[in-house]
Order: sequence, then C-alpha cells, then structure tokens
Amino acid sequence: MNRLQNSDFEKLALPLLDPLYNFARWLCGDADEARDLVQETFLKALRGFSSFQEGTNLRAWMFRILRNTFLTSRTGLERRNTTQEDEKGVEESVVDHQTPEITLLRRADVEMVRKAIGQLAPPFQEVLLLVDVEDMKYQEVADTLNIPIGTVMSRLARARKQIREYLSESAGGKP
Amino acid sequence: MSCNWRDKVALYVDDELDPGAQKEFSAHLGGCLECAAAVSEQFELKKALRAAGRSFNAPADLHAALYRAIHPTRSVSPWWKWALAPLSVLLLGIIGFLLIPKSHPNPMLAALVDAHITSLASEHPVDVISEDRHTVKPWFQGKLPFTFNLPDLGDGPFKLIGGKVVYAGQNPGAELVYTVGPHKVSVFIFAAPGSSEKLVSSRNRSFNISRWKEGDLEYYLVTDASSEEAGKLVAMFTDANRS
Repeated sequence: MNRLQNSDFEKLALPLLDPLYNFARWLCGDADEARDLVQETFLKALRGFSSFQEGTNLRAWMFRILRNTFLTSRTGLERRNTTQEDEKGVEESVVDHQTPEITLLRRADVEMVRKAIGQLAPPFQEVLLLVDVEDMKYQEVADTLNIPIGTVMSRLARARKQIREYLSESAGGKP
Repeated sequence: MSCNWRDKVALYVDDELDPGAQKEFSAHLGGCLECAAAVSEQFELKKALRAAGRSFNAPADLHAALYRAIHPTRSVSPWWKWALAPLSVLLLGIIGFLLIPKSHPNPMLAALVDAHITSLASEHPVDVISEDRHTVKPWFQGKLPFTFNLPDLGDGPFKLIGGKVVYAGQNPGAELVYTVGPHKVSVFIFAAPGSSEKLVSSRNRSFNISRWKEGDLEYYLVTDASSEEAGKLVAMFTDANRS
C-alpha cells in the first residue's frame, strides 16, 4: 500500500521539482538554502501524502507547503519583517493603466527583466512568479498564498507596474 | 480618454474572464486600437517575465536524493532514512557547489562521452546482449580485474541492453548500456583505489554526466535523457553497490 502511494507521489510530485526549485531560488536568493527548502518540502509532502485529497490541486498544495516552510525559516522571517511597509495603500490599485511600451519590452534583455523581478518586494514577487511564470489561475494563487483573490489581483497589478517602471528607468526613460 | 474596457485587459490576457466576456472582449479588440495595443503589450510583458522568471533548474543530485527518499531501501530503517536524506542532500549540495564552478574540461569525461556516442552510432553497441543482469555480470568475469553489482530494474522505465569492455586512460572498464524510453544510457565502471567520492553532475556537449565513486570503483553515467532519469539510475546503482 505504502509502495503504491510512494509511486503515486513520485508520478505526481516529481514533475513539480523544477518549478518548486525555481520558486525557492527566487524566495531564498541562495542555491543551498533553496535546495534544503525543496528537500524539506518534498519530505513534508511525502509524509502528508496519505491525507492528501485526490482531486484537489497538488501543485497549489506543494507550493503552499514550500512557502509556509520558507516563511518559518530565518530568511523568511527576516524577509517578512522588512516588507510590511511596502503593502500600504496598494489594495485599491487593482488596474494598471500604463502606457503600452512594446518597444521597450522588446529591447529589454532577459538579464534586465530578471533584475526587475529581483527588485520586487516578496509579496509582489511571489504573486507575479506564480501567475506569469507558473501560469497559475488567480484562484490557485489565492489558495497557495492563503490571501483573498482581490489581493492577488492588486499585488499582480502593482508588481507589473513596478516591472515596467524599472525597465523604463533602466532603458533611460521612454523611447 | 480611456476606453471603458481597459480595466479588463489584464483579466483578458491572464485568461480570467468568463468565456462569454472573453469572446466579447476579443470582438471589442477588433475596433479599439487602445485596448489592442494594451493587450499586445501585456502579452509581450508576460512573455518576457516567463523567460526571465524561469531561471533555475533543480540540480540532478537533488533529483537522485528525492528519488531515494521516495523509494527507501529495505536495508536501511525508515528512521535512518529520514535522518540521512537531508544530510546527504546537504553534503551533495556543498560538494557540488564547491566542485562544479571550478571544474575544468576533464579528458576522462570527454573520452567517455565519445565512447557513449560511439555506442549510439554502432549497430553492435554491446558484446554481451542480455536484459538479464545475472547474464551480463558474469560475462565480465576474467575480463576485468574487479567486479560490481547491476541494479534490479524492477518494473521501472529502464531496460538493460548489455555490456562490453572499454578502455579509457589505458585502463579497462565496463560499459553497461540501458534504454529509458527513446534514450540510451551508458554506465561506465573503472577501478579507482581510494576513498569514496560523492556524486558530481555536469554537462558535456548537451549530454548529462554523473560521476561518483563508491569504494574502489569509479562510476560515470552518460545520457541524453533528462537529469531526472539519470538521477534515478544513479540512485539504483549506488544502492546496488553500497558495501
């Protein structure tokens, strides 16, 4: 029985290794810490796999375990304490009415966009990564991060706005 | 003046509108340059973010360690398993971190990748043809100055094709050829007295290479299969040859 469950876990969870590791690297900013975080996430998930409800979203479940584990780590606690200020007055800005700057985006190289993602405060960065990199639906992100869907939308709009501003500044103003 | 639909641009691009509204918005785009430009820019942004955001792949030895944690061996009690798994991952991490950035082109690795490519191209890649490890292992008796164990592949995705004697650096060794799906995997084993060394993964001409040392034997695995598959076979070999 246990054997079968482990092979189910392997089949369902191992394909999530790269996405989880990528997310962990962004959260931790360090390869060794990300490796430990992913390792701990898989061990926790494996232990809890028998209680996992078939049909529910395994991806959101695994990302939630990873993020909760990160938040209780030293780096996670430090990160959380330094980012409280960033969220004030953000909730109302759900919609981003930036002027389209396609030329600017086409000109931005991968490294520049990576830096733009790197400068986002963690609450905005994680929403952006889950939606734009992992292709999660807003509801899935809300479940993963345990926040209301409205907060997902406002953080996403704010994150994208900051990315545009960063790219615009890096390119030396508007084209 | 801004179009009333502008608020829906992000929802449309993220595929979050209900199907009716999504269709309606598509129709609107045909006549509204402002929204069409905004949608196009938003898609471009998403594309750039996806390319830049997907920056890191899990190292192959992490695959191997997790595979081993999922399939504990019978000889090790579960308690030990849980205690050892994070420790071994940490060790692999530290060693990998120390070794990989400093690694120089290794003539042995290059020779073995060549040998693997030769096997891929050959009509007779092996001298002993058998899926049975109990046939392949005894075939090497008297041909090599050492012996080794071949893993039990169970019902897994790997199949043994056979083996042959190879030479690298003037030393005789065993090449065992496996398939996994459409990919071939060569595992090379050579005598190398000295202490054990942990797994180091690298890439050479797009092939995934894993190298580790257990007791007096040195192992190399070369394949174009994914690092995840490579990690599984590495784990099986290390389990089969653990003293």
